[in-house]
Amino acid sequence: MTSHSQYGIAAATLVILALPFLLAGNRFLGFVLGMTLISLLWATGMNLLSGFVGLMPLMFAGIAGIAGYAMVYFTRTAGWSFWLAMPVASLLAAIIGVALGLPALRLKGFYFTLCSLVIQSVLTLAFIFFPKFTNGDTGINEIAPPDWFGGTALTGVRFDFALAVAAVAGILFSTWLTQTHLGKKFVAVREDDVLAESIGIDVVRTRITAFFIVSLYAGIGGCFYSAYVGFISPRAFDVLVSLNIWLFVTFGGRGTILGPIIGTAILAPIPFLLQDLQAFKDILSGTLIILVTLLMPGGIYGAWLKLLSRKRGREVQTTQVREQGV
Amino acid sequence: MKLLEVSGLSKSFGGVAALANVVGHSIEGETLGMIGPNGSGKTTFVNVVSGHVRADRGTLTFAGVNIARMRPHQLAEVGLCRTYQAVRVFSELSTRQNIENARLLLEDRGLGAAEVRELTEWLRLDRNLDKQAGSLTLFEQRRLELLMRLVLKPRLIMLDEPVGGLAVTEVNEMITLLQELKARCSLFVIEHTMRVIRELADRVMVLIAGEKVADGPPSEILQNQRVIDEYLGNAAHA
Repeated sequence: MTSHSQYGIAAATLVILALPFLLAGNRFLGFVLGMTLISLLWATGMNLLSGFVGLMPLMFAGIAGIAGYAMVYFTRTAGWSFWLAMPVASLLAAIIGVALGLPALRLKGFYFTLCSLVIQSVLTLAFIFFPKFTNGDTGINEIAPPDWFGGTALTGVRFDFALAVAAVAGILFSTWLTQTHLGKKFVAVREDDVLAESIGIDVVRTRITAFFIVSLYAGIGGCFYSAYVGFISPRAFDVLVSLNIWLFVTFGGRGTILGPIIGTAILAPIPFLLQDLQAFKDILSGTLIILVTLLMPGGIYGAWLKLLSRKRGREVQTTQVREQGV
Repeated sequence: MKLLEVSGLSKSFGGVAALANVVGHSIEGETLGMIGPNGSGKTTFVNVVSGHVRADRGTLTFAGVNIARMRPHQLAEVGLCRTYQAVRVFSELSTRQNIENARLLLEDRGLGAAEVRELTEWLRLDRNLDKQAGSLTLFEQRRLELLMRLVLKPRLIMLDEPVGGLAVTEVNEMITLLQELKARCSLFVIEHTMRVIRELADRVMVLIAGEKVADGPPSEILQNQRVIDEYLGNAAHA
């Protein structure tokens, strides 16, 4: 990791933690911020798989949904505290996610994506056809916000700040993870899985581990989403949500820590700020998906890094030429 | 001591037998060569032994251990690794990152930094550590491939056409490197360049249409009438 990206991450962290207080005066902007922060947590998790391991998990939203519904079930029916229900539900969702994804994780690239799309569709159907837990198409409303010390509820700016802390924790964890041996294995598997396997990396196990971690991100985000919005339905966790998060990651720059932060900061608030143009927002994200795939495979941050290294390359060349006395 | 031992090894793709009942072995410390016409099953042999493709039938043992059902990463752990006919490095990553990736397997049990540096200098990659591996020349990439195998502390490296695509002077250098490599571990070499086989191999196996037709010292094999007729011809023999 270069020092300038470390500064970037530190700066982003500070901004994220300060924003809830800066926007405290305006409840609407506070809400947009909260939704953006949940997306940021999701995008950071998705990036570990789609950016570092090179798999595009379209069942991401479905796993978030499992955690969301489970959290509601644990808090409402079993009477648990949100802070117990959230980790348990996320763990449960991650285990179910890995179990469902196990056959797909032997596949690579496009085939994994196709398989994950099927799993996502099955999960969406499951949300509709198990109304005992999900209340079917109608969804569940009036989900209570997380409980807080002294019998109060976590609401308003304090909830926004909690989301900021969660997003920052997610960012710092993935920054750390990508520096570890496991993180290096992720990249090796992405770059060439056959070669990775032949120099001793257990590719399938690496993918499963990554997928488990990513599912935890999805699950934690799903729990926060449910408690923050207060309403969930199958529509909240369908494939378009997965695709949107993938778009945030790719638009900003996959395989980097700063990329998804940039992508989410730019794209996630748009649908809320353009609320009068409901039909327009799906067209916009569809168009962006096509444009990004075709024109900016490295995303905004990737393009910026490329520019930097080209500039540096030119400088090296000029000094070499100078040294040779030409 | 026998290092690699195969018997009754068979593999078919569709109706075509790529390997038919191949029997053979390599001895610790020796360099075993394998020659044969295109499509005779040499690469399939390496693919099967290195765990990339599962054999239909037959037994595979390495240092006394049954390896028939092992995956490539498990084989790397017991000391059997391979290179590829088309050079294969992490081309988007730097040379240093390539080496680091190969060191992930053994971690603390592996070579120390000083030993890795010594190997890097021996393979003359020390000036290329920060370059993107894909921007290296083919010969440099081939050497990087070797280095990435050596940090795995292998007992046997299977080389699939190690001088393929190299210029004449580079072939000479590669042969010298491989001769020095023989002191470090056992080798298995597939080659079409007979000079490589003559100068490196202690013993040669000949594969034709998936069957082993000869096995012996290079001097003998390269005179073998059937091998000359079916593979070497007169031009290549010179």
